Amino acid sequence: MGEASLVVVAGFTLALDRHYHPETHMWVLGTGPGRVRIGMDSLGIETSGTLAQLSFSPAGTELTAGRPFGQLEAAKFVGPLISPVSGTLLSVNEEVARDPGLAEQDPYGAGWLIEVSTSGTGVAPPPLLTEPAEITAWFTARIAHYRLNGLIAQ
Amino acid sequence: MVEPLRIIDFGRSSPLRSQTFWHAIAYGVSATERATLSFTRPGAPYVCLGYHRGIDEVDRDYCLENGLPLLRRMVGGGPVYLDADQLFFQICLPARAVPASSRQALRVLLEPAVTAFRAVGVPAVLDDDLEICADDRKICGHGAARIDDAVVVCGNLIESFDHERAARVLAFADPSQRDQTLALMRRFVSPTAVDPAAFQAAMISAYASALGLGPQAGGLTGAERRALVGLDERFTSDAWLAGPTRPAASRAGEPSARQVKVRAGVWTLGASYDGTQVAAGVVRGTIDQVRLQDRGLNGSTDRAERALTGIPLASVARVLAGFGDPGRRLAAAFATADPARL
Repeated sequence: MGEASLVVVAGFTLALDRHYHPETHMWVLGTGPGRVRIGMDSLGIETSGTLAQLSFSPAGTELTAGRPFGQLEAAKFVGPLISPVSGTLLSVNEEVARDPGLAEQDPYGAGWLIEVSTSGTGVAPPPLLTEPAEITAWFTARIAHYRLNGLIAQ
Repeated sequence: MVEPLRIIDFGRSSPLRSQTFWHAIAYGVSATERATLSFTRPGAPYVCLGYHRGIDEVDRDYCLENGLPLLRRMVGGGPVYLDADQLFFQICLPARAVPASSRQALRVLLEPAVTAFRAVGVPAVLDDDLEICADDRKICGHGAARIDDAVVVCGNLIESFDHERAARVLAFADPSQRDQTLALMRRFVSPTAVDPAAFQAAMISAYASALGLGPQAGGLTGAERRALVGLDERFTSDAWLAGPTRPAASRAGEPSARQVKVRAGVWTLGASYDGTQVAAGVVRGTIDQVRLQDRGLNGSTDRAERALTGIPLASVARVLAGFGDPGRRLAAAFATADPARL
């Protein structure tokens, strides 16, 4: 990730070199042909609270877009990590599973969550945001919405 | 017309059903979007693990010897001892009706329980750590989860609490940490001996009012009963009990740690590194009590323990720097402390 692709929007970092699923705050970054890396953006992590635990489905699991690929726990609240794509789970980030703080410190880098093979799924690509302008507009609007509703600090 | 708040009182149930009943409701609410408040009381004692927690956090030999079943729930938190002196409650709502922020969701869904405690004369507050307390003592355990398209928050009215047993069921490498945990439980976890029927009535009133719903007695649907059968099977399977796959907390040669939360801000640490061992109780960032073992301390153990007692956890390394190599080993063990991940 180049420095230029990382911007700060109203206090939250945003990487513009990848795609986003607007409902789940998951990012998707191509890492090779038919292969993507998935993580959670800084705003999704902020609204989750301090991450105490992360767990993932094992490698080889067939994932369906919109269904969980793991669970996160913050403040004794367990919630699903929703996959933004369909495919086969190739690997999980053992480091972030061991230390969920990595996802808070470096959500677009060392805090990535899983890698997925999306080739041969025969499934229509999910509605991801792909253009930097639309990503920035969506992110800005979500921050305003969350602040207005008291979900994140002013 | 006011939408209904389904009320289900399961009464006394087996340890297994005291968990699976309300997990089944979560699947039902996910499908039907019928907000539900339910109650049950386990007919026998057992130990219950939070979704992510390791079986090795529980003294399984003790549980086996004492006939205590071990179950894993889908909600978060640590391993807890549960028995018939605890009335469980669960509020379950469609996820779309709950704030997206988990902290906000917890606050919204725990506030009515605080109202109910106050209605029966307990001066309860929901503190900044989202703990239901009275006089700074935790009076209600809680956990939460999103299950399918429903959010469930569960908690309990603790009519009396067996502190000794609650500490005894936990596994500790160092008995000193168990003693410290028990001492802190006695100070910071308190039962509230109120009339459970009055509390239950107050809960129904408080949740109905807060959610703008009309209470309506009900039972499980056919789909929930079918889900219950599946959950009974799942919760008694070895695979479920083993829990999700997790990497080892520490690698070979690295310090290993065991942290036990008593209430928010109050916890114990047991850590070992290179032959050194630390057991410490921490109250709001300050070392409350400590036991040290290191081959090099010789006659300095008492002095080191006194030097550490009452100081901020953040100052431990500085204080131990005055104790040479043993101090460095002890500081490395203390450095495993990570209160954010309790």
